[in-house]
Amino acid sequence: MTTAIKIENFSHKYPDGTDSLENINLEIKKGEKVGFIGPNGAGKSSLLLALAGFLKGTGKISINGIELNKGNIKNIRQIMGIVMQNPDDQLFMPTLFEDIAFGPMNMGLDIDEVKHRVQHALETVGLAKMGEKEPHHLSAGQKRAAAIATILSMSPEIIVMDEPEANLDPGARRNLVSLIEKMNQTIIIATCNMDFAASLCEKVFLLNNKKVIASGPAREIMADEKLMLDNSLEVPRNILV
Amino acid sequence: MHHAHIDKFAYQDSAIHRLDARIKFIAAVAYSLVVISLPKTSLSLVLCSLVGPFAVLVIAEIPLKFILRQMIIVSPFIVMLALTSIFYDRTEVVKPFGPFKITTTVGVLRCISIVLKFAVTITTLMALICTTKFNLLLTAMNKLGMPRLLTIELGLLYRYIFVLIDKAQHILRARAIRKLRNLGFKRELKISGAMAGSLFLSSLETSSRVNMAMDARGFDGQFRCISQLKIGRGDYVFITAFVSYLIGLYFIGTFLV
Amino acid sequence: MHMANELLSVPVALTTSAVAAAGLGYICRKATKIVNSENLALMGLLGAFVFAGQMINFQLPLMPGTSGHLVGAVLLAIALGPHLATIVLSSVVIIQCLIFQDGGLLALGCNIINMALVPCFLGYYIYSLIIGKNLQAGRIYAASIIAAILAMLAGAAMVPVEAFLSGVLVVPFKTFFITMMGVHLLVGIVEGVITAAVLIYLTQSRPDLTVISCNCKPRISKSVFYSLTIIIVVATAAGLSLMASENPDGLEWSYLERPDQPEFAPMIANENKVISAVDEFQARYTLAPDYSKRQASIGTIAGEDIEVSQASAGWTSFAGVAGSALTMFLIWLIAALLRRKPQAV
Repeated sequence: MTTAIKIENFSHKYPDGTDSLENINLEIKKGEKVGFIGPNGAGKSSLLLALAGFLKGTGKISINGIELNKGNIKNIRQIMGIVMQNPDDQLFMPTLFEDIAFGPMNMGLDIDEVKHRVQHALETVGLAKMGEKEPHHLSAGQKRAAAIATILSMSPEIIVMDEPEANLDPGARRNLVSLIEKMNQTIIIATCNMDFAASLCEKVFLLNNKKVIASGPAREIMADEKLMLDNSLEVPRNILV
Repeated sequence: MHHAHIDKFAYQDSAIHRLDARIKFIAAVAYSLVVISLPKTSLSLVLCSLVGPFAVLVIAEIPLKFILRQMIIVSPFIVMLALTSIFYDRTEVVKPFGPFKITTTVGVLRCISIVLKFAVTITTLMALICTTKFNLLLTAMNKLGMPRLLTIELGLLYRYIFVLIDKAQHILRARAIRKLRNLGFKRELKISGAMAGSLFLSSLETSSRVNMAMDARGFDGQFRCISQLKIGRGDYVFITAFVSYLIGLYFIGTFLV
Repeated sequence: MHMANELLSVPVALTTSAVAAAGLGYICRKATKIVNSENLALMGLLGAFVFAGQMINFQLPLMPGTSGHLVGAVLLAIALGPHLATIVLSSVVIIQCLIFQDGGLLALGCNIINMALVPCFLGYYIYSLIIGKNLQAGRIYAASIIAAILAMLAGAAMVPVEAFLSGVLVVPFKTFFITMMGVHLLVGIVEGVITAAVLIYLTQSRPDLTVISCNCKPRISKSVFYSLTIIIVVATAAGLSLMASENPDGLEWSYLERPDQPEFAPMIANENKVISAVDEFQARYTLAPDYSKRQASIGTIAGEDIEVSQASAGWTSFAGVAGSALTMFLIWLIAALLRRKPQAV
């Protein structure tokens, strides 16, 4: 398997001087489903933002072997899509259709191709007939699915999601799990819900205090009770079985 | 959070809903112009002009109770101003009306005329809004020459009104739970300032995340959008009906005045 | 205060709409060059903030039962600069019209001028003139209160002027004008005080924010300066001339039938030439013929005919009312019957 993402010695400080990420090193293979787990304020969201090129720090981030810099950020963002934590931030257009078409239109595709992609993305996330809906008329689960569709329509190779399960009821969460399971892109999920991480991720990186504390196969790391409890996490119930 | 969605009826389906948004918009503006230019004391003619928007609402299956309620909500300012004409113009006139001869003042006639015209133009506006999805209306207005930037702003604004109103309601509730009495002007002002300020900050934060979401999807400052407007057979029928209605109104007008 | 359709005549509505469209179009074209995704999103969110901010009310002193809230023109102008703030407030006004039915479609032009264009530019320049470079609490209060009051009053002063140019209302101009000024002086003070409270909260909690520092000097470009001056001069002149005339809209009720004076001739003699010009224009281009036509014909017929014609006029208007009521009932009935059918089957 080839490398999708490689981060070397990446650090970032906020303008007021506080650290947000300290010396991060990690590597993610193509097609893997990876979890960034850790307590609140561990640096998970910052790391995702850094991956998407929103944080300028020191060190090296390469996507598909290409180093992220100011010049190629536009191209990188076609390879990598980010699903924000709050779908209300992600869905900013008046209708779902226009929102999902936003990315493909910016890629300069022709109208028919855009329409086709939107329809396909809507079908994938199970909102086939909801294109004309306005985001504020959707349920929380539908909004989440729609936010994922806005990224799917750009057919990225890597999808980054920030707490996608937050604020969802168990039913909607199950739908989300089965949706993500079906996707064959490289997927990175930041979450502090261990059951959710355990049900999806093959590999996890445990973050705390702006650093990567541990990494490895999900079953090994998440079954280590001491490690989990020390980092304000818990051993997921679905891994014990 | 449930909002009293004014535009909830825009999602129904009817012959009127299916009309092209541009046609409906132009018709609504033109009709409002006609109504406000009707003579100021001919009440019956103004009443005749209510038939058009009424018919549209009925065909579109918009509940009339809803229209009436909304009309009353927005009416205070105009009704107040209309009432002043009663006091300022007491010229007596005799208005023959069928078998009756009503003695009244010009002021009363004007007052009723202003209120009636208000009712007709509001009904016209509601007939437009309740039968047209907002995004289609925006596309239509853009096609009719509204600047791109304004169209985008309107879209974003409409999208986030409900999000921020929810937030404001949460803040208000938090205040109501803990503030049990009037604290005096200075404290009250400080509290409200902090509330509005924190709402302002959360708007800023949301906007920076929205900005990220835009950038993450390759936004380069150029808004591209897919037009979904098409003039069809229904539109020609509507235009014909609308124009013949206006002509009819003109003839009735020459009779009535 | 939203202007309403019914207070406007067609020429005034068209003129104000044209002025608003031209102004807004110019500003948009200028702004498109400086806009990026950052302030684009910011503008949308701050527009929504104006709506949500209006919900946060607080008890006014000395006036039990009334509460004040933010309108936001000055605050937005400080945060975004006058150009972008005008676009945001215009879209707020448009949404208020379309979604909440505050102010009519035809009054949109007026409302954009009164509530977006004038307050944003005026408020911004006054605020930045006073605030200078230091952000002390006292200075913020002074600057935002004065800016808010003047911006509010300037916008509010336009309402009676527009209404009286249209000649729909009968309230004497002076009364209306003074009432509007009085009410909006209060509204302006409240607006200024709460704008200052918000600004102070922001400087304390987020001193890093650059949006509120308003550190740009009051650079009034020449074209803006001239057009502002022209608008203010025209508005003042119109106001003064209206004040001066005793009976500013004595025109159209002179057209009315007066049973006591059968030979009554329509008098187009109005002290105020502006209004009569506007009204004549209106009379010429309206769809339904105004009273002037009918009066002209009445003038030629004899006394008893007038009574006959008046009686017949009474019947036609009766027919008009009854006819429309009947038509509406029929439309409703047919629709109801049609709708019931498919359910029964």
